Amino acid sequence: MFKKFSSDEVSSQNQVKASVQRKIRQSIADEYPGLEPVLDDLLPKKSPLIVVKCQNHLNLVVVNNVPLFFNIRDGPYMPTLRLLHQYPNIMKKLQVDRGAIKFVLSGANIMCPGLTSPGGALDDEVDAETPVAIMAEGKQHALAIGFTKMSAKDIKTINKGIGVDNMHYLNDGLWKMERLD
Amino acid sequence: MAEKPEPVKVLYCPTCSLPAEYCEFGSDFEKCKPWLIKNAPELYPDLLKEADEKEAERVSEQLHSVGISSIGADGSASSVQSGETSSSKQEEVKRLPGGKIKKKVRQEVVIEKVVRNKRKSITIIKGLELFGIKLSDASKKLGKKFATGASVVKGPTEKEQIDVQGDIAYDIVEFITETWPDVPETAIYFIEDGKKVPAA
Repeated sequence: MFKKFSSDEVSSQNQVKASVQRKIRQSIADEYPGLEPVLDDLLPKKSPLIVVKCQNHLNLVVVNNVPLFFNIRDGPYMPTLRLLHQYPNIMKKLQVDRGAIKFVLSGANIMCPGLTSPGGALDDEVDAETPVAIMAEGKQHALAIGFTKMSAKDIKTINKGIGVDNMHYLNDGLWKMERLD
Repeated sequence: MAEKPEPVKVLYCPTCSLPAEYCEFGSDFEKCKPWLIKNAPELYPDLLKEADEKEAERVSEQLHSVGISSIGADGSASSVQSGETSSSKQEEVKRLPGGKIKKKVRQEVVIEKVVRNKRKSITIIKGLELFGIKLSDASKKLGKKFATGASVVKGPTEKEQIDVQGDIAYDIVEFITETWPDVPETAIYFIEDGKKVPAA
């Protein structure tokens, strides 16, 4: 999704009003309870919260010029990888085998066999249509953020086709955009 | 959840910006290697070995070349020189991730006057960003100085340029060199009748 992404795609950015800010905060807190204690540091109440609207109904939540979260249409907010690396335990994790890393890092969606093979690992509680962190065999840090297409059980039983949509991966356009001016 | 989870500090490679452990999947693993050996040797045990081998090879090679050109000391000098040229070449030809080769852009500021409506004109300034000048700041300054509208506009080839209303070509050179001393007068060009004319 962010394969090609640059500041050219930004169509508007505004500082949102307090009520919207509160709403965003709330939905992030609901989505990632593990993040709640640090939420005050991430999204300080004082500093302005900027929502950047981009093409394809994409929104970025930007604080102090650093993109922290993104969402599509009215979908769930997902952290950027840089944020996820700092707080790795806020999301459910799926692990792909080593062979898949290369493809995921070039933007491929995550196929079921890569998750069910010996190198992969699944969190059984993952439902369909939830944001997840994609980890990799033998690596410490997440390499992508995905949005599941099937639940973990389905991934196991069907074991075919796309299991997780790749939303944001290392070295894609959003990753390269460390700061947004 | 009373206590705050500490943010994890992740080691990012300065060359490819990925976390160190993903360097091997990056666009240019070769270039990351020196940094990796220095900063994250535990992640790539193989690398160290490789590096050692290379080092040994290089030393032996150097000895070899010296041995061949045993006439004078210029043997070692030439080998050093060849090493230098290869590294400078690498700098010039910057490889893009797609394998495309990016040419180094020459640093110059191009000023063009476009007549908009018989006696109204726009002055277009291109290339200020090559000197590390923020275009939004520059346009503000220009607007203030000449008391006109000045805006950052996307040019024809995805490049950003500054459009200033009115014909300000007459003293813009002075203004540029004064406000940004980094920009030499020799790097400023006018476009007159489709030809590039140096301002100086």
